[in-house]
Amino acid sequence: MVVEKSALVIGGGIAGIQASLDLANRGLKTYLVEKSPSIGGRMAQLDKTFPTMDCSICILAPKMIECFRHPKIELLTYSEVKEVHGSAGDFTVKVVKKPRYVQADKCVGCGTCADHCPVELPNEFDSGMGVRKAIYIPFPQAVPRVYTVDKDHCLDCGLCNSVCNAKAVDLEQQPVELELHVGGIVVATGFDMYEPFRITSYGYGKYKNVITAMQLERLLSASGPSGGRIMRPSDGRIPRTIAFLQCVGSRDQRFGYPYCSSICCKYAVKDAVLIKEHRPDSEVYIFYIDLRVFGKGFQEFANRAKKEFGVKFVRSSPGEIREDPETKDLTLWYEDTLTRTVKSLKADLVVLSTALMPRSDSVELAKILGIETDRFGFLVASDPVRHPVDTQVPGIVGCGYCLGPRTGDIPDSVMQAGAAAARLSEILMAGSV
Amino acid sequence: MSEAESASTAGDIAKAERAGFDPRILVFTCNWCSYAGADLAGTSRLQYPPNARIVRTMCSGRIDPVFVLEALKDGADGVLVTGCHPGDCHYVKGNFRAEKRFHFLKMALKQLGVEEDRVRLAWVSAGEGEKFSLLVRDITEKVRELGPNPFKSSNVKST
Amino acid sequence: MTELEEPTIGVFVCHCGINIGGIVNVPEVVEYAKTLPNVAWAEGNLYTCSEAGLSSIKDAIKKNGLNRVVVASCTPRTHEPLFRSTCEEAGLNKYLFEMANIREQCSWVHSHEPEKATTKAKDIVRMAVARSRWLEPQDEPEVDVADSAMVIGGGISGLMAAVSLASQGFKVHLVEKEPQLGGITRRLGKIYPTLQDSSDIIDPVIKAATANENIQIYTSATLKDISGYVGNFKVSLKKGTEDTRLDVGTIVLASGALNYEPPKGSFQYGVLDKVVTQLQLEEMLTQGKLAEPERVLMIQCVGSRTGEVWTYELSDMTQSFAARLLSKILGAKKEEGWPYCSKICCMNAIKNAIRIKEQWPKAHVDILFSDLRTYKEYEDFYRRARALEVKFIRYIREIPPEITEAPDKKVKVTVYDTLAGVETEFLCDLVALSTPLCPSKEDVMLARMLKVPLGPDGFFMEAHPKLRPVDCQSDGIFIAGTACGPKDIPESIISAKAAAARASILMANKKLKTEALTADVDTDLCMGCGLCEELCPYGAHKIEGGKSKTVAALCRGCGVCAADCPKRAITMRHYSDRQILAQVEAMMT
Repeated sequence: MVVEKSALVIGGGIAGIQASLDLANRGLKTYLVEKSPSIGGRMAQLDKTFPTMDCSICILAPKMIECFRHPKIELLTYSEVKEVHGSAGDFTVKVVKKPRYVQADKCVGCGTCADHCPVELPNEFDSGMGVRKAIYIPFPQAVPRVYTVDKDHCLDCGLCNSVCNAKAVDLEQQPVELELHVGGIVVATGFDMYEPFRITSYGYGKYKNVITAMQLERLLSASGPSGGRIMRPSDGRIPRTIAFLQCVGSRDQRFGYPYCSSICCKYAVKDAVLIKEHRPDSEVYIFYIDLRVFGKGFQEFANRAKKEFGVKFVRSSPGEIREDPETKDLTLWYEDTLTRTVKSLKADLVVLSTALMPRSDSVELAKILGIETDRFGFLVASDPVRHPVDTQVPGIVGCGYCLGPRTGDIPDSVMQAGAAAARLSEILMAGSV
Repeated sequence: MSEAESASTAGDIAKAERAGFDPRILVFTCNWCSYAGADLAGTSRLQYPPNARIVRTMCSGRIDPVFVLEALKDGADGVLVTGCHPGDCHYVKGNFRAEKRFHFLKMALKQLGVEEDRVRLAWVSAGEGEKFSLLVRDITEKVRELGPNPFKSSNVKST
Repeated sequence: MTELEEPTIGVFVCHCGINIGGIVNVPEVVEYAKTLPNVAWAEGNLYTCSEAGLSSIKDAIKKNGLNRVVVASCTPRTHEPLFRSTCEEAGLNKYLFEMANIREQCSWVHSHEPEKATTKAKDIVRMAVARSRWLEPQDEPEVDVADSAMVIGGGISGLMAAVSLASQGFKVHLVEKEPQLGGITRRLGKIYPTLQDSSDIIDPVIKAATANENIQIYTSATLKDISGYVGNFKVSLKKGTEDTRLDVGTIVLASGALNYEPPKGSFQYGVLDKVVTQLQLEEMLTQGKLAEPERVLMIQCVGSRTGEVWTYELSDMTQSFAARLLSKILGAKKEEGWPYCSKICCMNAIKNAIRIKEQWPKAHVDILFSDLRTYKEYEDFYRRARALEVKFIRYIREIPPEITEAPDKKVKVTVYDTLAGVETEFLCDLVALSTPLCPSKEDVMLARMLKVPLGPDGFFMEAHPKLRPVDCQSDGIFIAGTACGPKDIPESIISAKAAAARASILMANKKLKTEALTADVDTDLCMGCGLCEELCPYGAHKIEGGKSKTVAALCRGCGVCAADCPKRAITMRHYSDRQILAQVEAMMT
């Protein structure tokens, strides 16, 4: 029986990165396949992580570089898994490397091409709050530091080619098919964030100053589109009164998802504290139903937010948000269920703490792998209590938020990645010592 | 760029001397946070005055006050010590130690007559490229105002 | 320090296309480098990191007998390892290589001042060359890693970690202080949300561990001493009258947590026998010791979330109500317990509530909560309880319910129901207090033995709460399960496997390359003052026989000891005073 002492990790966010490092350090050759041009995932989009308030990219970047440089990790970015055959110990995987139209071995990541590119469009990394060019790097600390041409928006003007000193641009580049033989597979594809257009009472998409928490995160980020200045979208003014609405699309049986996303209360408290740090005289309100700040250090963090930073917590689910058509200021009407009073609040900026949902391609990938997904699209564990990272197919394990809200926050993803690596080591390195 | 003014008082003469003076600032950075912050200023193409020269150590806790004194003796006009924010030190608490030592160093420098703005300690995280550039700009300008370091040994030329 | 051979330095200045070359006058910098003392070779490259550049470096080393290499290009944070490997390939120790950052810290930040940028680049090169003169070859010492592990604790986490490691072929010594294995899982009857028996979970893994040849189990055993360092821990433990000594490579700490019991009198616990903890209720249900109750009331957050702050505007409430609330808050005693949220109590309460309702549909079950933390997909579990007519009553955390004795062996509970807006009384047969998981007092001793820190909440502290949640600060020691904080069973199992993964990496590689950048104490100068021992966060210095003895395997190279040593007896390899001062001096001249 062939036992390939190698593994495939699908997804290059923190879970995939950690799983790759744990597997590679254990001695297994690891292929890390990432759909987007760079590894880093959601954690790279965050400004700070709760409750320690570490700079997110600062603690992530060394891990990204470690992956890049690891002799046993082969990074396949801008690539996708197309077919999987075989079984534990002997999987055959077809991976397609999408054309970047830039030669990775020649590009030095200097950015001259992007400086000259005439096309500008909203960028995905900044959740639409910032712009990028048609030839781009998703964020400054991208790994690998190789530019990519977004052919859908490229004008084929060839300017990038003419200014590139390393002669790295190749607009004729073709996709490359790879066949990999691996012993085990780790799924670490993460999540998307819910876009609450359907909750019309909140006016998302209509009112400029109603944004999602991820958009706020990008505004807060020192290397984000506004350089860390919180400027409200309608007029660039620094908001003085900010309201967070919790459970937008979570715990919801009408719109969004019925589960609790597990981290929104935590990130709202974090963002509230960050706003207060930026501007101590601001008024920050968090409207919640149950404040789910469980886990290590969080309750204490929330207490500090109340006591030291003066963040106001209101137990209420505001019914409607209205916009003043001239000032673009917002008014929320709510019932404070603890004091049993009905009030309104005029806010400069409203932040919706939106649900974390499965990626739109999760079901498709599951089909390719032959594993089950639940009614939402998250991976189903073979036994959620005893075998929490195993899927129905032996040799295929999962980690990170693609497993669903039971993942929780970053430490949970990192632990699951370790557990996934352990499971594959148990299968592939049994009795190897 | 040299600007000479017509001087009528001693203060104006001193100011004229300072006007032609381009300070040399020594910056100590730690490998994990502030050096990375300085790099980020670079990748973000933030521009700052070219007066700083950076020396890297693994931790701000490595900085012996003697290094700062040597720097001043050798002719640096200003010294900026940077490290990770408290609580973020890669080696747990090296930066706390740096802060403590710096406190006593400042007291000693004051006794020696070294001006407050010449020697500074600041925390820069790996994500604070802008902060780094602003710090360098700030200390450069403040030291420019103060004038050349009066403590440099006589065999060192001023710029 | 050994005699240094005469430094013969090669300098390679990179254009990096136009990134450096477009602003800094690279040829001028190359010419300047040639004038520096000890520089035997200087050249410019278009891209030093390219194949062509790297070959050029190797050729120059061989042809000119270079024993130091300086590359002036981008930040060392990207290519230093690459250039170091290149030097090694040419036979040069990698620590004889130095980089000068003339891109991120020069050309890119002074792009409008090319002349000044060029001057700065020359200065930077001069400083790097000055430092390189004093560089010495360094070794990355290897320590052997024994391929056996010790797991402290035989609960679900310890057992899972042990089985994971044993199945990969490592020898495991499992140490448990109680006579039987299973830990707190044994005391649970059912597991949420599946409501399967806890024996479903714990029995198979006890069986697997006991049957596994690679696992040696010591029950009723206590740890006496742990010394050594990663790869080489020396453990002594006592089982009855027998003393055993073990040599292990790694340690997995899975010592678990206790269920907090409120002090006597708190909520009438220990006074009225109808007031029990949630875990005690669980045991009563499992052992069939509860007769059909009319009403069971559960109170959440007893002994946890202490220290919360009242922030309501009293002006928002009616006068009389505000006055009553205020008097209650002011009269309330300082609460005993723990400041954190124990995460699992809401689910445990709902689990027991569902168990009661399914057994006795007519019984009333009320849960008094402050924030209901049924996170993840446990929302469904919450809905299931509501469908069974379990009542959820929200009280204000800072104003706890009052418990008093009532006739007919009942207990009266008085609480302000915020959602209904009235003060309510309940006459209950049983009151269950949901208390947190908390650290054991023995953890303090264990922490000292292992030389690992406890966090502010009293649990063991991870190396980094986000990115290293199962590592301890000290290499070679890993944490699994509730030893570092409250967790439910799937989370404990995940952390146990993750800890096993980390331990297996060390043991599988058999050798561990430790840091080259370590502290070197000159024992002739050392006066044994102990400051280094006090300052080192890794326990790398120990005063023995009046002198500081360094365990290189533990040193991480921060240099705090060297900067504070009153006798200047400590040299940091690769970051010595001489090397740093050379750069400082070279800045000006």
